[in-house]
Amino acid sequence: MSTQSTERANSTDQLQQAVESVSLGRDAWRRLKKNTMAMFGLVVVVVYTLVSLTAPILPIHSFRQQVLEHRDLPPSFTKTAGELWYERERDYMLLVMEKEDRSTFSASEQAELDDIQQRIQSETREINGEIVMVHTRRYVLGTDHLGRDMLARIIYGGQISIMVGMLGTLTSVLIGVVLGSIAGYVGGKTDYLIMRVVDVMYGLPYMLLVIILMAIFGRSIVNVFVALSLVSWLVVARVVRGQIISLKNSEFVEAARSMGASTARIIFRHLIPNTLGIIIVFATLRIPAFIMQESFLSFLGLGISAPFASWGSLVSDAVERMANTPWQLFFPAAAMTVFLFAMNFLGDGLRDAFDPHSTNRR
Amino acid sequence: MGRSSLERPFLCIDCAPNVALDGSCLPHSNCPLDGNCLLRHRGAFIIAGMTQYVIRRFLGLFPTLWVIITLSFFIIRIAPGGPFSREKELPQQVLENIEAKYHLDEPLIVQYGRYLFDVVRGDLGPSFRYLDRNVNFYIFSSLPVSMFLGVISLSIALIFGVGFGVLSAIRQNSIVDYASMSVAVIGISVPLFVIGPVLMYFLSLRWGLLPTSGWITGRNGWVTLIMPAITLAFPYFAYIARLMRASVIEVLHSDYIRTARAKGLHELVVIFKHVLKGALLPVVSYLGPAFAGIVTGSVVVEQIFRVPGLGKFFVQSAFNRDYTLIMGTVIVYSIILIIMNFVVDIIYSFLDPRISYK
Repeated sequence: MSTQSTERANSTDQLQQAVESVSLGRDAWRRLKKNTMAMFGLVVVVVYTLVSLTAPILPIHSFRQQVLEHRDLPPSFTKTAGELWYERERDYMLLVMEKEDRSTFSASEQAELDDIQQRIQSETREINGEIVMVHTRRYVLGTDHLGRDMLARIIYGGQISIMVGMLGTLTSVLIGVVLGSIAGYVGGKTDYLIMRVVDVMYGLPYMLLVIILMAIFGRSIVNVFVALSLVSWLVVARVVRGQIISLKNSEFVEAARSMGASTARIIFRHLIPNTLGIIIVFATLRIPAFIMQESFLSFLGLGISAPFASWGSLVSDAVERMANTPWQLFFPAAAMTVFLFAMNFLGDGLRDAFDPHSTNRR
Repeated sequence: MGRSSLERPFLCIDCAPNVALDGSCLPHSNCPLDGNCLLRHRGAFIIAGMTQYVIRRFLGLFPTLWVIITLSFFIIRIAPGGPFSREKELPQQVLENIEAKYHLDEPLIVQYGRYLFDVVRGDLGPSFRYLDRNVNFYIFSSLPVSMFLGVISLSIALIFGVGFGVLSAIRQNSIVDYASMSVAVIGISVPLFVIGPVLMYFLSLRWGLLPTSGWITGRNGWVTLIMPAITLAFPYFAYIARLMRASVIEVLHSDYIRTARAKGLHELVVIFKHVLKGALLPVVSYLGPAFAGIVTGSVVVEQIFRVPGLGKFFVQSAFNRDYTLIMGTVIVYSIILIIMNFVVDIIYSFLDPRISYK
């Protein structure tokens, strides 16, 4: 074979590569990969999700076991809980000493300190069916006002926050997609009815209704989730309906219909996959909003109830005491903020990736 | 091009709520797709006549309000437990007397009719939890506080949001741009109830610059207003700044700006007279949602900074099952939101050159 023909073969190869079709998903993924912030967001979201899924097998303390001696311990990598506890008691006694103009510990104080030393050495306690040398624990992120490990509470709080965010989004997207596509495709009276309901509900003050629902039907994870999902499918329904209307007269739908495809098949196999891009984008941006709303409710005392926690309730618990124990505020707040950041970056990245029009480079 | 055909109108997320029943877009443009949504493809649209439009929109407010009242009335009443159910039960006779006093012994539908009639006359009824006080009293004493905080916050958000948005757009990729857009990202991602306490921790507890809580009528004076207002304004400042930046950039690339520059106008005149007018539209349409957010956000901010506003009563009454107080606060909040949306829509239809009147 001559060099000329090899060259020609190569160029045809290149041509063929150029015309090879790229699916919307792969195209979007390629664009997403170029977006550093979005990829950073994706990594953070994956890590958070993995940590909260594997929480039960991670080597962390129990999130609900109270060790009252360990209340309000500051975060420390090096010192054990016992040492911190001892220091706190001693510092307090020193303060009393100063106030009372003494220079030595009184007998009872000395006895108490000795007792603490003794207990640090030997005391064990049963936690989750295991005998634990409780005072040799280390609390990397400190403890809360009831002596529970902040790290564990943040991880389990994140589990609940993320779960509410993802499941809530999923439910609201499902309701919205089904109703929106039916309204858009069937049209006529059905459309009018569904969209009227949406219009009216859209005019209602959203969070106020959720707050009433929560206050009236009691605080539980399930209620948070139901109340939020019930009122947040509206936008999805509108988006999907708009997309379906703009698609339903296109050639590929006509082709499917002429081949005898049923309405359900056309909607679920042909129309919805075509609106998937915008639904994914919407869902990604919806998750942080859901998490914020859940935390908002928990902050008002209307969300998750003890001993369970969510990021919002952790922040809410900490606000009252933040002058003395700022770590109880900052760590959950930081955990939540990082996740919301990541989710927003990912959502923005997906929006740019899925939408070829977007000149959005914000 | 495969299935993601370029010519298909792409419906953006923020403009989706504005899609009317016939599939066309209503006036709006806070569009994250920078206007590459249905709106652009549909082109201009025509509204029958200004007065007619305003009247129709105004009359439309009442059914919405009625739905809100009815829905919240029945949600509250079907829930188990009432305002008088305590841990220690009241004697049967006492309970019956109390219920008779507040007409709780009548059939629900009669109560509903009675309530609706009272509301139309402007009487929101007596509080069930606090004796000798009626709901009107609470609302008149606390609403001005909430309104004041809300208006101040919205003004801060608007002034700084528009200002920094324009600055970052005309000095794209400068330090101002990066700094204000980074702050804006923080404002969008970090919830109010994190910003509030963190501000409070540093500004009042650590550095002692501002009082932790209180209100302007107290001994601390106006400084108490600073932190609640900043906290409440921050997310909306962030959103408006981003919106403004994107829309100014888009307007700067349009033909009429090139024409204005070609005429030899001074750059400041171009910015203030031509760019701003076109670029403000998305911000105006965002005012409705922003105000709604400020109203709900104020509930949290009032909680954090102990502001004696309506939000306090709203949360408390929801806990107490104080039927009339819940209803009263919901009605007042809804009226504010509905009127605000109405005003924004009207302003918008004046400003948008794409809307023409027959």
